[in-house]
Amino acid sequence: MKDEDIKRWQMTLEVGPNASVHDIKNSYLRLRKLYGGGSIVLEPLEDEFPEKRRMKILVDLEEAYTRLLELHRNRTSPGRPAGEAAEAMAVGEGPPGGPATEPGAPYAIEETVFSGPALRRVRERLGIDLIEISKQLKLRTELLKALEEERFEALPEEIYFKTHLKSIAACLDLKPGKVVEDYLGRFREWKRAR
Amino acid sequence: MANTSHIAKEGEIWAVGGGKGGTGKSFFTSSTGTQLAKKGRRVVLVDMDIGGANLHSFFGIGRPQKSLTSFFEAGSKLSDLTVGTELPNLSLITGDIHSIASDNIKFGQKLRLFRQIMKLNVQNVVIDLGAGSHANTLDTFLIADKMIVVIVPEVIAIENMYHFVKNTLFRKLKSTLKDYGFKEIVQHIWDRRQSYGIKNLKDLIEYLKASFSYIGTILDSELANFKIHIVVNMVRSNQDILLGASIKSVLNKFLGISILYSGYIEYNDVVWKAVRERKPFMLNYTATGCAKQVETIVDNIMHGREVSVPGG
Repeated sequence: MKDEDIKRWQMTLEVGPNASVHDIKNSYLRLRKLYGGGSIVLEPLEDEFPEKRRMKILVDLEEAYTRLLELHRNRTSPGRPAGEAAEAMAVGEGPPGGPATEPGAPYAIEETVFSGPALRRVRERLGIDLIEISKQLKLRTELLKALEEERFEALPEEIYFKTHLKSIAACLDLKPGKVVEDYLGRFREWKRAR
Repeated sequence: MANTSHIAKEGEIWAVGGGKGGTGKSFFTSSTGTQLAKKGRRVVLVDMDIGGANLHSFFGIGRPQKSLTSFFEAGSKLSDLTVGTELPNLSLITGDIHSIASDNIKFGQKLRLFRQIMKLNVQNVVIDLGAGSHANTLDTFLIADKMIVVIVPEVIAIENMYHFVKNTLFRKLKSTLKDYGFKEIVQHIWDRRQSYGIKNLKDLIEYLKASFSYIGTILDSELANFKIHIVVNMVRSNQDILLGASIKSVLNKFLGISILYSGYIEYNDVVWKAVRERKPFMLNYTATGCAKQVETIVDNIMHGREVSVPGG
């Protein structure tokens, strides 16, 4: 990857050179929502900002997002083939301009039940570190690990970690309701078996 | 357009505009001036909200004895028209001019006003421009070192702000190229924009740059310092806060100019209370979130920094 390309992608996504994966993702989602149409910020300029130009911005956003995540993944897991990383994190399966924060994004497409390991896989495909989520949500990494490893005995009362699950789901761009339902289903099953 | 680029300035000029009325420009001007003065700077505020001057009310000053009326009608010196406030290093030039409408100000008067604003013996001049996009308002905005736009999260305010910013940039283009001897070129091309395939000002700038390499060099250098600072007032949610980042993105992609999102001020009834009580907000409500946000914005504008936004 050339430096000038990286700079261009960072400019497209409006992030600095030291942006974390979390920053990149947030900026991408915000801009996709903005240029996806219907924003009060864009509405007054509709005549002067033609559809074609808006669509071009959306296409550029997709490329920049995929490439920057790929770059991040290659930096953190250098052994992994670049193509595979890009594929794993590819976004924007629908046409540009689709809903920006459509829960259940493509990096979760293989998951049918959101178990702890499934949440870990989605997180890893996004290239988000546990520490990053821990800082963002102000939750202990030990608790996050226990959730992902389904060490149910290490978890607090259901009512507490249910809220945590919702926050984690939002952080991973997943449907909170589905994540909570799946995860609690597994937790309750374990509880019954006990 | 008044060319003032050759006049050496005494202090740094900040101008607060934005197009729409009721977005809190006077509140922001008074609070910013107070905050700069609290930081030890010598500050003069100038109320250029012609027809709606009320900056003095934010300092609990009743009907002012001196105002810009004397400047325009009696030829008084601007520096003789300052009115004191509670802070010894903060004064105010009130804009209570009854008989002069903005469009009645003659070119010579405007130039004299700009010269004297630039020569005020202070470290900061903060100008409240009031609403609208009149040529005189835009010219005043353009003499500022820090051009600040205050908006609220409403579609009409955003629409008016775009109008204001576009007109400011257009006027800047015209005046810049006029100074270099290309008096009519900007208007000429803009009037025939359809035949040139020009949709907006960014297209116009790109067309000018591509067609005349000399003009390209001029615009690159003259527009490099054209930066607009955005303040979003009366925010009620994270979505409102993000609006500033979205406007920055759109203006950058749409006009190709640098935008700095300086910060936001939350909606709080205490502001309304302070205005009603005619108490300077930044002296009487220092512990509020709004006051802290104004402090952050002033620091950001001073140092060319931006606010960090949630999920931004």
